[in-house]
This record gives sequence, structure tokens and C-alpha cells, in this order.
Amino acid sequence: MSSLLSELRPWLKLLARRRSRMLLGALLLALTVGAAIGLLALSGWFITATALTGALLAAGVAASLDVYAPGGGIRFFAVLRTVARYLERVYNHDSVLRLLAELRSGMFAVLARLDARALGSRRASEWLNRLTADIDTLDSLYLRLLAPPLVALLAIVLVSGLLGLFHLPAGLSVGGVLLALWAWLVIGQACLGMAASTRRVASLDHLRGRILETLQGLAELKSYATLAHHRGRINEDQAALYADQWQLGRVAALGNVLVGLGISLTAVLALWLAAEAYRSGTLSGPLMVMMPLAVLAMGEALGALPASFTALGATRAAARRLNALGHSQSVLSEPEEPVVLDKRAPTLRLRHVTLQYPGALTPALDELDLTLKAGERLALLGASGAGKSSVAALLVRLLDPDQGEVHRDGIALTGIALSDLRSRTAYLTQHSEIFDDSLAANLRLADPNADDTALWRVLELVELAEWAGALTQGLETPVGEGGRQLSGGQARRLVLARVLLLDAPMVILDEPFSGLDRAMAARIASRLDTWLAGRTVLYLVHQLRHDGSDPPGIERSLTLRDGYLS
Amino acid sequence: MKAITDTMASGDAQNQAPLTSKRWLKDLADGERRRLTLATLAGLGVGLCTIVQMLLLALIIDRLLTGAPEAPVGVFFLALVGVLVLRALAQWCQETTAQAASLAIRSRARAVLLDHLAALGPVRLASRHSAGLGSQLVEQVEALDGYFARFLPQLRLATALPLVILAIVLGLDWLAAVFLLLAAPLIPLFMALVGMGAQRLNQAQFSAVTRLSGHFLDRVRGITTLQLFGRTASAVEDVFAAADDYRARSMRTLRIAFLSSAVLEFFASVAIAVIAIYVGFGLLGYIEYGPSPSLTLFSGLTILLLAPEFFQPLRSLSQHYHDRAAALGAAEALVGILNEAPPGSVETQPEGGDSVDTSVRLTEVCVEHVGRGQVLGPLSLEVSRGEVVALAGSSGAGKSTLLQLIAGFVAPDQGRVEVMGDVRPAWMDQRALVIKGTIADNLRLADTHASDYAMQKALSRAGLAELFARLPKGLETLVGERGAGLSGGQAQRLALARIFLSDAPLVLLDEPTASLDEGSETEVAASLAQLVEEGRTLLIATHHPALMAIADRVIRIEAGQVVEEVSA
Repeated sequence: MSSLLSELRPWLKLLARRRSRMLLGALLLALTVGAAIGLLALSGWFITATALTGALLAAGVAASLDVYAPGGGIRFFAVLRTVARYLERVYNHDSVLRLLAELRSGMFAVLARLDARALGSRRASEWLNRLTADIDTLDSLYLRLLAPPLVALLAIVLVSGLLGLFHLPAGLSVGGVLLALWAWLVIGQACLGMAASTRRVASLDHLRGRILETLQGLAELKSYATLAHHRGRINEDQAALYADQWQLGRVAALGNVLVGLGISLTAVLALWLAAEAYRSGTLSGPLMVMMPLAVLAMGEALGALPASFTALGATRAAARRLNALGHSQSVLSEPEEPVVLDKRAPTLRLRHVTLQYPGALTPALDELDLTLKAGERLALLGASGAGKSSVAALLVRLLDPDQGEVHRDGIALTGIALSDLRSRTAYLTQHSEIFDDSLAANLRLADPNADDTALWRVLELVELAEWAGALTQGLETPVGEGGRQLSGGQARRLVLARVLLLDAPMVILDEPFSGLDRAMAARIASRLDTWLAGRTVLYLVHQLRHDGSDPPGIERSLTLRDGYLS
Repeated sequence: MKAITDTMASGDAQNQAPLTSKRWLKDLADGERRRLTLATLAGLGVGLCTIVQMLLLALIIDRLLTGAPEAPVGVFFLALVGVLVLRALAQWCQETTAQAASLAIRSRARAVLLDHLAALGPVRLASRHSAGLGSQLVEQVEALDGYFARFLPQLRLATALPLVILAIVLGLDWLAAVFLLLAAPLIPLFMALVGMGAQRLNQAQFSAVTRLSGHFLDRVRGITTLQLFGRTASAVEDVFAAADDYRARSMRTLRIAFLSSAVLEFFASVAIAVIAIYVGFGLLGYIEYGPSPSLTLFSGLTILLLAPEFFQPLRSLSQHYHDRAAALGAAEALVGILNEAPPGSVETQPEGGDSVDTSVRLTEVCVEHVGRGQVLGPLSLEVSRGEVVALAGSSGAGKSTLLQLIAGFVAPDQGRVEVMGDVRPAWMDQRALVIKGTIADNLRLADTHASDYAMQKALSRAGLAELFARLPKGLETLVGERGAGLSGGQAQRLALARIFLSDAPLVLLDEPTASLDEGSETEVAASLAQLVEEGRTLLIATHHPALMAIADRVIRIEAGQVVEEVSA
């Protein structure tokens, strides 16, 4: 219980920031429930009173009843209930969605500051889930879990107070029974549903990941005729999800049944007690009728609780995951007083750098020393997994080393603002991402202010200009998810063009010509040679081929093997 | 056996009328007719118990107020409690049965969709956003829940129960019944008007959710690229704008969805108020018209208590109306998938006598891609059994399309593709599939019954022996999506190991060594040579000399056509 509260506390605080909006929403909710109770209770009272008065009149006894005040009251409650309900729903949903937009972008901002260790350890679809589903789940905190039980409690106090005013025992018993029912609907339902609803988001996530896997790897699965076998995994994930849903469905049904039964039995109890009082002459007929009807109207206040609290675990799990992300150790630090870089080609130095990835058997880099002189072109050779990308990641602070230091022109990288460092370093990674957008939008990631001429110039450098010029939509041609509308070689040249657009004094190119044929590699290399003049360059390559398709102008080469220079 | 793909094969699916979302939902419901009917009957039981409950309440009150001072009411109290328990049981039955039906329907819907996507094949899927598809197959199939679990049973109750109540009220006081009747027809009318708008908006919202999902996955996947270009701040703004746009869309849908229930509640409330006032004035004797003078406390109170119940099924229905709108919106998108006709499948036919030595024969094939025009052909090619053919040519020349055509992932727009053999060709491309699971799970994608020994051998043939030796958990080592834990080259070699494990006679390799260093490439070339010794036929799209060296023939393709052919 206390851990539940501490997990939810940051999010409750967030709600507290919009206190007035939340309060107004709860007030509208209370108004709706109050109007429903008022409508039924007053109607019952009115009909009984008129019947009794009518009977007296019919018997020739002089009697009178003010019919206008109660009649007006009935009409007032009828309209109030409708209007308050509509306003409440629109207003509260808008509040929640406003909050969600803030939460989503806030969470993405946290992600954006994480280092490569944290980002690499998760499946992309899990991140997606964190951003959307978890935050969406938290909307239930106010609209489903906070306001309704409070309003229900208020309604219980109101109804039992109303009854107690005229007949204390009835008020006390009804209040006691309804409070017990309320406690079960809130605490009991939450306990019964906790385990299954806590797993829900993770189960959905597994299922989604499996389905994505299947769709992305369909070519291989089909060719090996093992699609059916792999579908078995999807079915297992779905069965686990649905076993939980079945249990939650039954728990919620139990709650719904208890709401109906509990309220009706309480109404019967109220009538029984009121009848006793009526027969002993301490309570009037109309008031006796009003009592069970007021209780019956409580359905409005309690009806939504079972479904909401059965699913409490989902909110808890979402809060737990988001809390963990915010407190991650992998958030890259920003200097308080950053040193500003200039446009000259820099000198870079790694001193005694050790780097180990979580879960890895051996360090990726072990006590590495490496110097890259200003304007030099160094090729770092080695097989995949030798540690080349880790060196590059250190130079742009996608990672900070576990031990050792990285300096640029004698300044520790941790003393430079991340944005400054990265805008002064162009890094073509092995798997540079292409976004599901146009050619132009993908290029302008490097420089949002670049004009079309600049875009055509870099496309010219990588021999894509002629191809792009022939497209009907030109630079505005959409490239598809991950650039799938492009061939492998076109995609590679596009991301190379993007890196060139950045125009930085430090350039890191990881296998710039992979997937290109030799002749084209050689042609692009000669143009690149001119472009790279006066910049500090680090190439990451498996092996030099010495056939004209190597990156241009290599002055020195070092080979990295299992985290050591050899 | 030989498989033939040609233009005639895809006719079947196109001849059928396109499936509509309503038709699909109905088909799905028909599959669970028994459970859904049981749920409706149980719901009817709940309604009838509620009517009896109200009658008993009115009866007890009437006896207390107008009967003899000591008239016995205890037995009615007992009956009342009995009816309440009965109602609780019926309600339990209604909810759980409907839930079971909904679970069964969603399982089936997802299975049908996965079958269809598999039939569409990898090339068609490449043009769709796979995150969007993932969300469709998870979230949108789940969005069908409310329709089957709540809306559909309620729909039948909403017509049956009000009629029963109307009949009872008619028996008690026909004028009150007229009030109910006057309010009732307006409700479906308004709901239909409002519901139509809500449904359209809901579809828009669903496509917004799909776009939002794609937008997010795209940015989350590319977060390193965004970091490197210092674009994270603007990406955060993008994300906010997308989420805020989603809010605006949602609110438009919700304002309308809420309006439909508000209209209903307004009519219900007003009708109850009018009846309460009518009954009151009638009891006072102020109304001389029609049946009013004969109103009693019992009949008046019964009418008042039943009036909300008259509207209750419709109110419940309207609360579940967004379930219907959500399901229709989801079904609309999902039916869009189902209506996309799969490309002509590879049909296996008895082997012709002339092709014992032939593995693949292409006759004047042409392939067009939407938006890219003709990407291949006209092209003819014959590959003998055990032959190694390298496909060279600049990127985008059509090498991949040629391999996809032989794999059966695309159908030719013209011409004829013949692939001999009863085992499908093995496939490997630039994006190796790495599933979340153990290395063994990943290898068994090629052969579900592979022994540990066979898997280890396949790993070492693919050049992963050294890595494998370093893993303490061996084949049980966990790897993740897109090969997290594995480098690009290692993931590629894992896919290669799968080929060694499979017994496909024909192997299609699309740039298999694009991410390997020269040493590994030579090793892989040697491994591929072993495949040739086993008698397998290889078609390799590549730029790399080491692979071209093992080829019997190098075919150069430019702009979708063979421009040069060199035999070794």
C-alpha cells in the first residue's frame, strides 16, 4: 500500500499542479451525482405526498399541498443532471488529454538525453510503449481513480445524512453498509485485480514486439516455411494476455454484481427501517418512500468503481516503469559553464579509456590511448564488434567512458555543451536512420535552414542528384519507413549526403561506401577527398581494400582488436 | 515438383466483392452466436428481475401506506431479496459470457489478419509502416472488445426491455405510456444522427493513433541520429505537436460521442420529470382527463420506478455506442488490410519432363512497382541445378526485385517464373531477422527440429565459431530485437547460419556480405562453396569480388535488364 502510494506520488504531484482544473472537474462530477439522487428522491416524496393528500381530498377532508416548489425542483434536477454530466465529461477529458501531450513530450525529452547504453538495451517497440501506452494508462489516475471514489464518498455522506436527518437509525445503517460496499469496491477490487492488471501493459508489449518481428522478418520466415512455428510464439503471448483479461473480466463482473446487489439490498434495508418508523408514527409516508429511492440512485455514484479499481495495477505498473526511466543512471550530464567550440579542425585524445557495456563479458575498450591530430585522416580498422563504434560514440558523447578521459583541443568533452559538440562533429553511423518523411526532410535534419541548392549540392556529391531529379516529386519524394522505398545503396548514399550537409570540422565516417559498387565508391571518394580538406577525419572500416574504393586520403591506420590497438 | 508463378495466379481474390467493416463484424459475431445469445438472454433476465423488483417495491409501499395498519409485508420483503439475488446471478452470467465471446472473437480476428499479412508477403509489407501494422494488430483488434462484450448484447436488450416496460405501464395508465412513447422514438433518431458523425470522427481518430504510433517509433528508433544532429529539441516539439493534434482530434470525437448520451439523458430526465408531475397531479385529482382519476399510489409509484428503467437499456446502449464506433473505426482499417489482394502465390505443379537439370527459369518477366514504374524486365534467365550465379549491377538496378520474384514475394506483371523443387528457396537479405529469444530460437527459424550439434555446426560454418566459444550459455544466450547484443556483422552471420541449417536446394542471397570485413567475407565465400558442394543452387546479388569469384556465371543487370553475362 505504501509502495503503491510512493509509486504514484510523482504523478499525484503533477495533478496537484493543475489543482483548480481538477477541482472544477470533480465538482461537476459531484453535481451530476447529486442531481440524480435529488431527482429520484424528490419524485418519490412528491408522488407519495400527492397520493396521500389526494386520498384525504377524496375523503372530503380539507387538505392542501404546495405542488409548485417540488415540481420546479424535479424539473431543475432533471436539467441539471444532463447539463452537468455533459460538461463534466467534456471538461475532464480535455484536462486529461492536455496533461497527456505534456507527459509524452516530457518523456521523449528524457529519452533524448539517455546515453547509448540505455538506448541500446531496449527494443524500439518497448520505448514506443513507454511513450504512449504507459502515459495513456496514467490518465486513469484522475478521471477513474481519484475523482470518482471521492465523489462516491461524498454521495454516501449526503444520502446517509439526508436519511439520518429524518430517521437516525436508517441514516446510520445505510451509511455503514454503503461505506463497507465502497471500501470493497475500492480496496477489494484493486487487490483481486492487481496482479493481472499489472502485467497487462507488458503482455501487450510482448505481443506487439512479436508481431513486429514477424512482419519485419516475413521474407526469411516464409522462405524457411517456419512462419507457422513462429506464429506459435504469438499465440503463446496472446494466450497469456487473454488469461489475464479473462480473470480481470470476472473480477470486474463480480464488482458490478456487488454494486447492483449491495445498493438494492441497502434500499430494501432503508425501506424496512423506514417502515418500522412509519408504523410507530415517527416518520411520514412521503419521507418513508423517499428513503429507498434516494439509496437506489446511488448506482450513479458507485457504478464506475469496479471497472476502474480492478484495473488499478495497470496504472501502478505504468507509473513504476516511467519512474524508473526518469531516475536512470544513463542520463548524460550537461556542463554548467560550457566551453564553446570554434570552427577549426580539432585535435582529439582518448586517455586510458575503458568502456564496458551492461551484460557484456569483456570490456568493449580496455585502457585505450588514441590521439587524432588536427586535420589528420586516421583509419581505425577492425572486424565488427572490435570496438570501433565505441570509440566514435565516445567522441560525440553518445557514451561516457567508465574510466579515462576524452579531450577535444585539450578540453574534457564533459565540459562542452552536448549540442555544441554534436553540431561540430559529423558522424555517419553504421546504421544511420532514415525517417518516414521526404528526401528533403531527411537531409535537413543536419541543417534545418539549408536551401534547396545546398541539398542538391550534397546529393550531387553522392551521385543521387540525377536520380532525385528524375523523380516526379523531386526532393519531396517520401522515402518510406526506414527508407524502404530506396535501395540499400541509395539509402547509404542519402545518409552520407546528410552528414556532409552538416559541414562540421570533425568528421567520423563508419564504412561510408558499404553496399556501393567499386566504381561508384571510387567516384564518390574523389569528390569526398576535396570536401574533407581541412577537417579532422576518423574512418571506421573493416579492412582496407587498396582497390580505389577505400575512403580517400588516409594518412595513418590503426587496427582495433577486441578493445585493444594492435 | 515445380512451382509456377504467372499473371493468372492472382485472379481469385480480386473477383470477390470487397469486404465491408460491418459485414466483417457480423461474420465475427456469427462465429460466437451461441455465447452472444446466452449473454443477451441473461441480460433479459436482469431486466425482468429489475421490473419485478420495482413492482414489489411499489406493492410494499402501497400496502404500508394504504393497507390495514398491520398488513403483512414480510413475505414481500423476502420475495424482493430473492429477486435481487436472482438478478445478481443473471448479471454475472451476462458479463462473463459476453467477455468469453469477445476473447474468442478477438483471437480469431487476429489470426485471420496475420494469415492475410503473411499471404501479402514481404514486398507488399515493405510499403506499410510496420509499427502502424503492429499497432493495428494489437490495439485495433483489442478495440473490437467493447462491441462484442457490451454493445451487441445491449443492442437487443435495448429493443426488448423497453417494450416489456411499456406494456406494463400501458396496463397501469395509458397516458403515462404515451409520454414514454413520445420520448422514445426521438431517442434513436437523435442517436443515429449523432452516431453517424461520431463514427466518421472515430475513424479519423484511429488513423491519427496509427500515424502517432508510426511517428513515435520512427523517432524513437532514430533517436541516436536525432542526438547526433542535435535535433532532439525539435523532435520533442514534434512529439508535443503530434500529441496535441491527437488531443484536438480526440476531443472532437468525444464532444460528439458525449453529446449522444447527453441527448438521451435529457429526454430520459425530462420524461421522468413529466411523469412524476403528471402522476402527482393525477393523484391530487387535478386532472380529469382519461385514465388519470383512477391512478393509485401503487400504479403511480410503479410507473415512476419503471420510467428510469424504460430508458436504462437505451442509456447503457449509448454508453457503449462509442464501443461500436471504435470497433467500426478499427474494423474499417483492418478490413483495408483484408481487402488488399495477395500477389499471385507460388503454385506447385507436377514437374515437367523437360526441366530435370533446371532450377529456375524466367521467361520474359516484367515487374512494376507502384510509383517507380517498371523496375525489372523484360528479362529471361535459366539457372541450372548446382549452379552459382552472381548478380552484379549498380544499386537500384533491379537485382533485389529479381531475387524477390524467384522467392515468390512478388508476382510478375508479365511473363512466367518457374522454380523447381518442393522446398522453398532459402532467403537472406541486408536486414537479418533477429527475434527476441535465444540463439537456438533464432536458428530454429530455419529448422524447427534442428539438433544442438547441427546448430553449432551451422554457426561455425557461418563464421560464428569464435563468438560462440566465448558465450557461457552457448545456444541459450539471449539476443534481442534487431540483434541487440549482436553487431551488424554477427546478426548477418546468424542469418547465414540459418541457411546452412536449412535443406533448401535453392538459396537466394541479397548482399549477404554487405556488413562483413574482408576476412569474414572470404570465410563466408568458402562456406557458400560448401553449400555448392552439397549440390545447392545459389543466386547472389553482390558487389564483392570474393563472392563473384565463386560464381559460375556473373550476370550484370542495369535498369532491370541483363546487360552483360560472363561465365567463369
